[in-house]
Amino acid sequence: MTTTAKATSPVVGFDQVTKRYGDVRAVDGLTLALHPGETVALLGPNGAGKSTALDLLLGLRPADSGTVRVFGTSPREAIVGGRVGAMLQSGGLMDEVTVGELVRLACALHPRPFPVRDVLARAGIAQIADRKVNKLSGGQSQRVRFALATAGDSDLIVLDEPTTGMDVSARQAFWATMREQAEQGRTVLFATHYLEEADAIADRVLVLHRGRLLADGTAAEIKAKAGARRIAFDVEGAVDEDRLRELPFLTTITISRNGSAEAPGRAVRIQSTDADATVHALYGLGLYPRNLEVAGLGLEQAFVAITAAEEAKQS
Amino acid sequence: MNSLIRLELARALRNRKFLFFSVIYPSALFLLIAGNADSTTKIDGTGLTVPTYMMVSMASFGALTAVLMGNSERIAKERESGWVRQLRLTTLPGRGYVLAKTASAAVVSLPSIVIVFVVAAAVKDVRLDFWQWFALTGAIWAGSLVFASLGVAIGYLATGDAVRPITMITYFGLSMLGGLWMPSTTFPQWLQDIAKWLPTHAYAALGRAIEQSQAPHAQDIAILAVFFVLFSGGAAWLYRKDTLKA
Repeated sequence: MTTTAKATSPVVGFDQVTKRYGDVRAVDGLTLALHPGETVALLGPNGAGKSTALDLLLGLRPADSGTVRVFGTSPREAIVGGRVGAMLQSGGLMDEVTVGELVRLACALHPRPFPVRDVLARAGIAQIADRKVNKLSGGQSQRVRFALATAGDSDLIVLDEPTTGMDVSARQAFWATMREQAEQGRTVLFATHYLEEADAIADRVLVLHRGRLLADGTAAEIKAKAGARRIAFDVEGAVDEDRLRELPFLTTITISRNGSAEAPGRAVRIQSTDADATVHALYGLGLYPRNLEVAGLGLEQAFVAITAAEEAKQS
Repeated sequence: MNSLIRLELARALRNRKFLFFSVIYPSALFLLIAGNADSTTKIDGTGLTVPTYMMVSMASFGALTAVLMGNSERIAKERESGWVRQLRLTTLPGRGYVLAKTASAAVVSLPSIVIVFVVAAAVKDVRLDFWQWFALTGAIWAGSLVFASLGVAIGYLATGDAVRPITMITYFGLSMLGGLWMPSTTFPQWLQDIAKWLPTHAYAALGRAIEQSQAPHAQDIAILAVFFVLFSGGAAWLYRKDTLKA
């Protein structure tokens, strides 16, 4: 391998990685690469294989086939080198010790630790440092897990559903802290099913469904892929439905009857990847659309559209 | 790894229930059993007085309690809670967790042995040579490693719900049948024939031989060695299996 290739070698590389549980392929031929400094959301419904993919990345489970490399080495080597900090959904905490003691342990185990006081402050748990770990609320436990993941100067931070159990304000505070990590040049990978989080925080969104990568791009690109804008309008009288269906950039269209018996009409709902062009062409048909609305499609709807399209393809 | 040992130890010393059962309880039980016995009657075939005999039994029992209970229940619970997984995301080597658990249990088992000796010497006038006290402490402490590895094996075998009954059955079964609570010479012959192959029986026999100013019997050492290999081999196999399914 040449020096240039090494310099650009990915933070995380999955090459045709498959992991089965019995007959179920939790991760199915997954190939992806994460690059330095990216903040990446791993998005998918429950059972999509997100947690398994993170387990493979962290070396907690062996892959059945394919290779997982982290900073060009095995996951375990990367962890021993202190390059990865991780917060697991299922990561338990040691009982009957204080928050401060547990964070001190995490710092002691990291090859390039931050001062304990800083780690506590950054995770917002300095004021509960003397409290026993088993006496914490769900949100507080998540902050302690976050502190364990950021106890030292790691280059990659992996978070599995980090804001589970947090209320809205705690969630916002959490992501503000997470952004600081990203601004310091760390690569951040987080799994979530909160789509607004992926939309607001990630530079890149990976959509996982049934263990396979369905989409990979910015949140805007994912929305575009699904038909990012919704156009709704009514027309009076009968219309030539075929001509409506031929409008450019359509992904879906539904036409239904509305109005009254004396003044029949049609309600038209369209999803378009280029709403401006679609609306322009609509006027070109000589129609007079009423109650015209053009609205952005949320990532959630985009996500539903992508996974529904995939399921339709498979069945 | 030292930081984990320190934290495990701090936690163990803070747990009053655990300390009571592993440090105070064996001494209390010693007083209960040997309390009314006079210091001259010898137990058949041993040449040892009741207090002397029971002192080794209870010191062994105390060490067994500390290392078996300390390991099995914690490991099973922490496997279930995911703390073991979390530790695998640190630089701590895989065996570090088990070693830290065993080391902290060993630190607790030492005072439990010594306190039984002190109580026996002070209250029941048990007198031994200087070297015998040291040899006894060393033999019982080192022998407890056999049960520490059994604790690890149970911890990796049992689920969080099942670990307590499994540990208790093992613990009481081994203590009773091994003759830690009453001399196994009082058992019917068929039970004695079984009991003499138990690791607890060999464990207590180790200490008793020292009290009789003899070298420990080769058979007892062999039995303990075989069980140690069995338990630690089983623990290692179960640990690896657990690691693969995360």
